[in-house]
Amino acid sequence: MMINKNLPISQIAQEEASNTAILTVTYSFLISMLPHFFHMPLWVTGFTFFAVAWRSVQSLGYVGGIPRWMLVPFVVVGGISVFAQYWTIVGRDPGLALLTVMTAFKFLESKTHRDILILIFLCYFLLATHFLFGQSILIAAYMFVTLLIITSTLITINQRDDSIPLKSRFKSASKLIALSIPVMIILFVLVPRIPGPLWGLTQEQRGGITGLSDTMSPGAISNLITSNDVAFRVTFEGDIPPQKKLYWRGPVMVNFDGRTWSQTEHKKVTGINRDESLELSRYTITLEPHGKKWLFGLDMPVQIPSDSYMNTEFQITSNKLVNDLKRYSLSSQLNYRLGLDVSPEYLMLADIFHQTRNPQTLALGQKWSRQFNSDIEIVNHALNMFSTENFAYTLQPPRLGKHSSDEFLFQTRRGFCEHYASSFALLMRAAGIPSRIVTGYQGGELNQVGDYLIVRQSDAHAWTEVWLDEKGWVRFDPTAAVSPDRIEQGLDQALLDRASSFKIGKRNPFVSKLMYRWDNLQHNWNDMILNYDHQKQGRFLRQLGLGIKSTGDMIIALVICMVFITGTYWLVARYRERPAAIADYEKIINRLLKKLSRSGYKKLPSEDVYEFLKRIKHQQNFDDTQLTKIFETYSKIKYARDLQQEVVIKRFQKMVSDWKAPG
Amino acid sequence: MAVLSFFQNRMDAWIAARNPATADSIFLHNRRLYILPTRFGYLFAIMQLVLLLAAINYQNSMAYVLTFLLTALGIISLWQTHKNLLGLSIRLKTPRPVYQQEELILEFVISHSNLVDRYAIGIQYMNQPPVYTGLKAEQSTTLRLPLPAVKRGLYKPAGFVIFTRYPTGLFHAWSWVKFDIPVLIFPKPLYDIKLRETISDQQHSKSTIDISDGDDFAGLREFRQGESLKHISWKAFAQGRGMLTKTFQGHASPALWINWLDMTAPSQEGKLSQMTALVIETNQEGRKYGVKLPGLEIEQSEGPAHLNECLQQISTFNQTELNSVLLVDKL
Repeated sequence: MMINKNLPISQIAQEEASNTAILTVTYSFLISMLPHFFHMPLWVTGFTFFAVAWRSVQSLGYVGGIPRWMLVPFVVVGGISVFAQYWTIVGRDPGLALLTVMTAFKFLESKTHRDILILIFLCYFLLATHFLFGQSILIAAYMFVTLLIITSTLITINQRDDSIPLKSRFKSASKLIALSIPVMIILFVLVPRIPGPLWGLTQEQRGGITGLSDTMSPGAISNLITSNDVAFRVTFEGDIPPQKKLYWRGPVMVNFDGRTWSQTEHKKVTGINRDESLELSRYTITLEPHGKKWLFGLDMPVQIPSDSYMNTEFQITSNKLVNDLKRYSLSSQLNYRLGLDVSPEYLMLADIFHQTRNPQTLALGQKWSRQFNSDIEIVNHALNMFSTENFAYTLQPPRLGKHSSDEFLFQTRRGFCEHYASSFALLMRAAGIPSRIVTGYQGGELNQVGDYLIVRQSDAHAWTEVWLDEKGWVRFDPTAAVSPDRIEQGLDQALLDRASSFKIGKRNPFVSKLMYRWDNLQHNWNDMILNYDHQKQGRFLRQLGLGIKSTGDMIIALVICMVFITGTYWLVARYRERPAAIADYEKIINRLLKKLSRSGYKKLPSEDVYEFLKRIKHQQNFDDTQLTKIFETYSKIKYARDLQQEVVIKRFQKMVSDWKAPG
Repeated sequence: MAVLSFFQNRMDAWIAARNPATADSIFLHNRRLYILPTRFGYLFAIMQLVLLLAAINYQNSMAYVLTFLLTALGIISLWQTHKNLLGLSIRLKTPRPVYQQEELILEFVISHSNLVDRYAIGIQYMNQPPVYTGLKAEQSTTLRLPLPAVKRGLYKPAGFVIFTRYPTGLFHAWSWVKFDIPVLIFPKPLYDIKLRETISDQQHSKSTIDISDGDDFAGLREFRQGESLKHISWKAFAQGRGMLTKTFQGHASPALWINWLDMTAPSQEGKLSQMTALVIETNQEGRKYGVKLPGLEIEQSEGPAHLNECLQQISTFNQTELNSVLLVDKL
């Protein structure tokens, strides 16, 4: 015997794609690409739109398809263009550009059902690329919406009925995804995580991220002040230290070329000398990606994360670029002595004054060094000058020329923290006192909902460290001298001329409460979802107290949960989609059919009731008006739902029981 | 190859044993259903593997979320695709006979009593293009599968594949259904006016005059339900003799023998085609006719049952194996 074993797969794949299919896959693709269009090279975006538009117009029949042989040189040109743009095809941005261009070409040559399915898979794949650019709650929400749209397209393609309305297709897709989410959660929590990476990652320098720079010139930090972005969030184990002690140490700069401060190369510190008698502050920082290597710690860090090191300037540097959210724990001593063992070479470096520039500053410093007996007197005198003379604090300082420090100190007297820090450090060097600039953040806003600090880019700050005999490196913040409010109550009150406030607490209580909650949600999202790795998984599952300790336990738990959830789905579906009860009128007609069969009129299995009646009337010369009436009533009841009432069915039942088989 | 065909045959036998042919409707229960990933299902799995590797390597939590969500989507599709086919009843209506080279329409009645809609249920026969239908909850639908009628004869269809890939196309669920329903294909009629006249003339001289509706009045008889009112003798009715019908006698066309030996076509199939045409035409004329095939003779008669009998005998003439499998490929 012959039975068709060939599944009709290849045939179905070769079917011509319908216009609906092309249209739905087009908007799915555009939506799944949308966030990328804002940062991709313009020509990639342009080409994508061109290809999609061409294919859409082609499906309407206005233009012909581009022949396949012409696509080959196009693809080659596309690849070369991407290479010309980035000078590589490896890495996040070039990889994405290449994938986009190739998908656009795929669009141009799509004809069959198979092509459409491949495009849908590419859309699914493109979704993942967004997470290389950010993993916030909003992007996650966007992923779910897009996933729904792509899945509804996939369903449309497989439904084989273009008359089914869009709404119903979305409903089917929503149901599918709603059923998938619990399974996804189980997999996310319980699939044993492997500590990555599996292979070496190329360390890409990524542009376009707000954050501190590794150099400092006038205006560098005031640019950051206008950014509302979160730099990092901090959870303290104990009490949160007072605002004026919250100096978050970042890049330390000792080189000065007359205008710009920059860092110098340093040896790693092998051991940190800490005073055991002093209290430690322990805290955990969740650092937003900033594309550089440095980490922030409270002045002065003594215990640092294992995947980082500290140099002699007490700046913490990560082993890898911070391109993803980074969570690390460390501890600091808020009272410290630093740099008593500093090398003479370094002190000389910290005392260099470029004499070709800023002659007035030099003269003033030199005057002070003659006038005062001790270094600390010079420091105090300088700070006093900032607080008593008419120095103003502004976000929009006048532009400074070649002798930036001179112009600031003696003419404009309006500036931001980098002006004060820079001029102060130069005055010290002029007076022969080693000094350096520390950049970082100052302060932070307490989120009462989550009891953690939010440190924003607008909290960016620069201050000065001065080396004093027997005291070592001592922190002085000249900005605090000019405007004590700045340090005591935060930046915003000092900025009278530009009251841009980012602090949530400054808004009306209702809004601020909502915003604290939203920020807390983001913090928890970072903490629970984005940081859910090998270690966190182990900790989380142990804390559940279900005895899940090893990888083996996880796999057993995974199997149990999967069996449970699929079993639940199956039972619910079995109940909800159960066969309808056999209607009463069907039971009655079955009784009649039994009667007829006893008198020799058997319904064939391949007939339905009507065909059977037609046959016995036709072939057997069966003429029974009562029987005809019964069947008519039956068909009326069956197809007119409003007739399915008890009274009607009772009458029908009587009709059938009254009927007697002939003979 | 011998080994392969041995397994192929064993497989066929196994499938045949599991799916006995029936004239009744077939209920698609769990044991009848099979499900495997499609090529796209495998591609989808490979894509997830790539995503998973990327998620591990970049330690990217949202990439994990997406990967696991797609995995979950695959698992749910497996179940949904299977469920889309489960619990359907399917039966094949006895198809109307068709002439060779015409389109044979097979009508399947697909029904279910579950409180859920079904989509994209396909039926396929051999390598012919499939047809699709959807079903609302608790309803039934008739799905028409057109097949080319390639060769005359009486056949049994081989197994049909009823399948679905709804909702995601990642899985292909199917069942083999085999129906014990005869399919009759008549030879393609070959009309030949000259041949018809020759035969008619030859036989006319020998034939007897038959009694039928003619022009000459022959008498009266009892009126029967359904007869034309034109022929009622209103005169007799007025005389109180009741409803009587006038009967007429005429020179009716003589009955015809459609004989294999009289056919002019050179080949067997040609001869059968000529006979088919003659049977159809003679039947339309309302004449009686009989069929003579080598080794077989059907008495002269008339009526639809007779017509069917004649055509069936012509169709199955020399068919080596009756009820053989219906083939749809050009041979």
